[in-house]
Amino acid sequence: MNLQIKNLKVKAQEKEILKGVDLVVGAGQVHVVMGPNGSGKSTLANVIAGNPMYTIVDGRLTIDGKNINKLTPDKRAKLGIFLGFQNPIEIPGVSVFNVIRKATSNKQSFSSNKQKAIRNKKTNGQLPVASGSVSAFRQDLLEYAASLKLSPDHISRSFNEGFSGGEKKRNEILQMLALSPKLVILDEIDSGLDVDGLKLVAQAIKKFSTLNPKSSIILITHYARILKYIKADFVHVMADGKIVKSGKQKLASEIEEKGYQFLSV
Amino acid sequence: MSNLPATDYKYGFSKPENYVFKSKKGLDVGVVEEISSMKGEPVWMRDLRIKALGIFEKKKMPSWGADLSSINFDDIYYYIKPTDNQKSDWRDLPKEIKDTYDAIGIPEAERNLLAGVTAQYESEAVYHSFQKKWEDMGVIFCDMDTALRKYPDIVRSYFGRSIPAADNKFAALNSAVWSGGSFIYVPPGVKVDIPLQAYFRINAANMGQFERTLIIVDEGAYVHYVEGCLPAGEQVSLGDKWVNIESVKPKDFVITENGEAGKVKAVMTRNYKGKLVKISPISTYNSFRLTTEHPVLVVKRGDVLKKRKPRGGWLLETDTKLLENAVPGYVPAGKLEVGDFLVFPKIKASAITSLSEKELRLLGWYLAEGSTYVHKKLKMPIVSFSLASYEKRRLDEVENLIREITGKNVYRIADKNKRGVSLVVYSQKLRDLCLMHCGKGARTKILSQEIMSLEWDVAKPLVDAYFEGDGSVYEKGRLMIRASTASEHLARQIQELLARGGYYACINVRKGSADKILGRSIVRGDQYVLYYAPNKKWSEVRTTRDYYLVPIKKIELLDYDGPVFNLDVDAPNSYLVRGFAVHNCTAPVYSTDSLHAAVVEIFVKKGARCRYTTIQNWSNNVYNLVTKRAFVEEDGVMEWVDGNLGSKITMKYPSCYLVGRGARGEILSLALAGSGQHQDAGGKLMFLAPDTSGEIISKSVSVGTGRTSYRGLVKIIKNAERVKCNVRCDALVIDEQSRSDTYPTMEVAEDNVQIGHEASVSRIGEEQLFYLMSRGLSEVEATSLIVNGFIEPIVKELPLEYAVELNRLINMSMEGAVG
Repeated sequence: MNLQIKNLKVKAQEKEILKGVDLVVGAGQVHVVMGPNGSGKSTLANVIAGNPMYTIVDGRLTIDGKNINKLTPDKRAKLGIFLGFQNPIEIPGVSVFNVIRKATSNKQSFSSNKQKAIRNKKTNGQLPVASGSVSAFRQDLLEYAASLKLSPDHISRSFNEGFSGGEKKRNEILQMLALSPKLVILDEIDSGLDVDGLKLVAQAIKKFSTLNPKSSIILITHYARILKYIKADFVHVMADGKIVKSGKQKLASEIEEKGYQFLSV
Repeated sequence: MSNLPATDYKYGFSKPENYVFKSKKGLDVGVVEEISSMKGEPVWMRDLRIKALGIFEKKKMPSWGADLSSINFDDIYYYIKPTDNQKSDWRDLPKEIKDTYDAIGIPEAERNLLAGVTAQYESEAVYHSFQKKWEDMGVIFCDMDTALRKYPDIVRSYFGRSIPAADNKFAALNSAVWSGGSFIYVPPGVKVDIPLQAYFRINAANMGQFERTLIIVDEGAYVHYVEGCLPAGEQVSLGDKWVNIESVKPKDFVITENGEAGKVKAVMTRNYKGKLVKISPISTYNSFRLTTEHPVLVVKRGDVLKKRKPRGGWLLETDTKLLENAVPGYVPAGKLEVGDFLVFPKIKASAITSLSEKELRLLGWYLAEGSTYVHKKLKMPIVSFSLASYEKRRLDEVENLIREITGKNVYRIADKNKRGVSLVVYSQKLRDLCLMHCGKGARTKILSQEIMSLEWDVAKPLVDAYFEGDGSVYEKGRLMIRASTASEHLARQIQELLARGGYYACINVRKGSADKILGRSIVRGDQYVLYYAPNKKWSEVRTTRDYYLVPIKKIELLDYDGPVFNLDVDAPNSYLVRGFAVHNCTAPVYSTDSLHAAVVEIFVKKGARCRYTTIQNWSNNVYNLVTKRAFVEEDGVMEWVDGNLGSKITMKYPSCYLVGRGARGEILSLALAGSGQHQDAGGKLMFLAPDTSGEIISKSVSVGTGRTSYRGLVKIIKNAERVKCNVRCDALVIDEQSRSDTYPTMEVAEDNVQIGHEASVSRIGEEQLFYLMSRGLSEVEATSLIVNGFIEPIVKELPLEYAVELNRLINMSMEGAVG
């Protein structure tokens, strides 16, 4: 999926947070957005996903050439945008299984039209395989959970209620795997994870990229340590609501060594 | 209609049903005596009723709870005896149930158990064998009137013992006029392992408004009783199907005059004596009956006439231009004339389908000529298409379609006399596809919701193939296409699909008779004959962008005495009767005569356990004022699970009187109040012996202008030592105008006790909504999910079919309230 951000200016409660961000993410690319606290990284992630807390003052967000400025978050999700939250919320009484099932069932009804044509071509007019059977879906979900070292009863648990920090993060990745989105934004997915947890998550992201080669990924992070496990195509540095520097993976290691100060303009 | 009482309900669609007896309106000794003598009751019951009436008249209305000031006791029919007697019925579990096990997160082990229960539910024979089994064990389960006849001594010794008439005004009223309800007796040590269920119809004019239930669970016994007022086994109107009006419930969606879905706010029913107008358009099947004042959407012929004199006996000619540009208006049914044009809206369709054109075509052939079954010996799924042997081209087409879609061999099997050929394929895939989208059986074939949501262009291959298979082309002045089917539903559905394509098809009913097909003698059931003109120039039906104008052919006046129905539908305030638009009633929606005042008395003996589950979804003009009380003896356990969704006002506080040492009482209360509703619910725990324990958990949700109140009483008497009591009430408030209050009362006279009390009020957070919406859920879906999660601790205590229904009802309430 192609994401284009042009001169994006965003405010929240009358305070300007993004002051003209430009970013182009091509299909299948991995981008890393780094920056000190308060530089606007999380805001950028939330604005792409359509968080109504933020107001776009100026600029354009386009997905495959389509302006999405005015789309509600659910419509963006249906286009294939996925945000892995920095602080995922709890939904007491609703199981992980139910949230993801609801999310995937929505996705299917949306894409069935487009996929229909493809499927009919592929299968020579054969009946589509009965997709969306609940037990098959449960099986898939259990496999994804196992790959993230989440216990089999994880999917029956009340959503994020009583989860450890690491479980919450892995639960975000679990949803990413189940939804196979076309644009993944992971907001500080690495924070609050120990080394083993980080490795697991990084492996899952890599596997996701291999299975979904056209899907683009934006990793938003404070530290460069996740880049030990994932190769980025581009690295951007944000400061004070703007992208101040872009480069390749090397840029990340420079920041790791010297801190953000060396960039201060 | 001047002979109608002024308060009577004016407009309504009628349901032909005869009542054996109906008391007059209002209440006096005469009415009570009449009820008692109609039922042939013993003298003591008649005296009890009369005494209770005296108490009722003296008691004041309760002033501490919800507003009951508009109840008019003189405007109520206290007793109606229908021809159809009380029914308690097992409800078949819905098909989707296995999916639902997953959806509501029931653990694996429990699911297997439930699956077993399902199989048992599905067979009526099994149900009877259970009944037999209970009887052999000495369990009595019957309605209260029967119990009074067959077991007068038991009834007499318990009736009114826990809830005497003097307890409160509505208990007194119930004691005076009660009718129906359940009676259960479980002998010592007997554990009834399957819930006993009774269903009360939502229909407010029906019986059961003053039902009386008495349950006695003898020492060491167990029973779970479920009381539902959801209609059993009835279809729901979703725009793809047509259902009887009496089975429509508030919050269902019906199609309105502009062809879109409108939500039903209330279902109203009244008794009506007078003339009904029967209106027959050119399509006789689509004729319908209404009260004379019910507004119907029409174009009056007089408004669109040509300025030319009439010829012979013909109707005056209409001016096409005038007619097509005329704006339809509502006219009382009694003022309609032959020749006026009824409005038949085209139902809006949009959806996309996963079905290919070829699949649709094959499904069309299946509708016309197909059948599916599982081969008994081979245990192979079979789909078979029967055509005449001379239909070479069609045989080839169907065979090719089957082969392409299933990829399997197709067998041609000739009839004995070589006139017919069956195309047979062994394919589970095709069988599933056919069953899913078309059903089976000549009289019961029905199109799926997915197909009924299709636009004409998409659905056309199916309709075309159907007419090729079942139809014939003939000329009667003009080219006509005709088909006949034994499935009434299918005829309606095809009529609707055709309407989307701009074809108004007529349906006529051909009564069943002996007939011949391909030389064989058969007996035909009723046939629904569909016919339409493919060139769209039917001279009598005019088409505009959004609807057809269909002339009335015949108007008759019929005498009628019985209940009539009406729906109150959200904007645009109309709904379709037999395809034609009629208006909501204009009479006040909330009348005072819908009162449900039940009494439930339960006796839990030493070491026994009883669970009583209720889900009430009364229509929104019902005052639901119910007294429920259980006496629990030593080491006995009483559990109330009480869900309140419908009604205008509910006041209900199930209570446990813990009279024996070690007795336990649990009350789970759930309330959902939508706009205009007030759910005043909670529970009472009376600790009257040492070592007793109890818990009240209340969850309430208020939406729109809805209001919920938790009202609870915990009373611990002196010397009831070591009592443990826990109360928890949580409220979820969805909108700014929604309201929730808590009125907890504690009277504790003993020091050596443990009491816990927690309460919370919460709102749905922006962050929760954004999170779920970022996963692709709409705002309504997200809200519903959060609400369902909130009430989950109570829902998981419900029998599965109720849990499913509850889920559906909540989703619908949210749809109306959010966004």
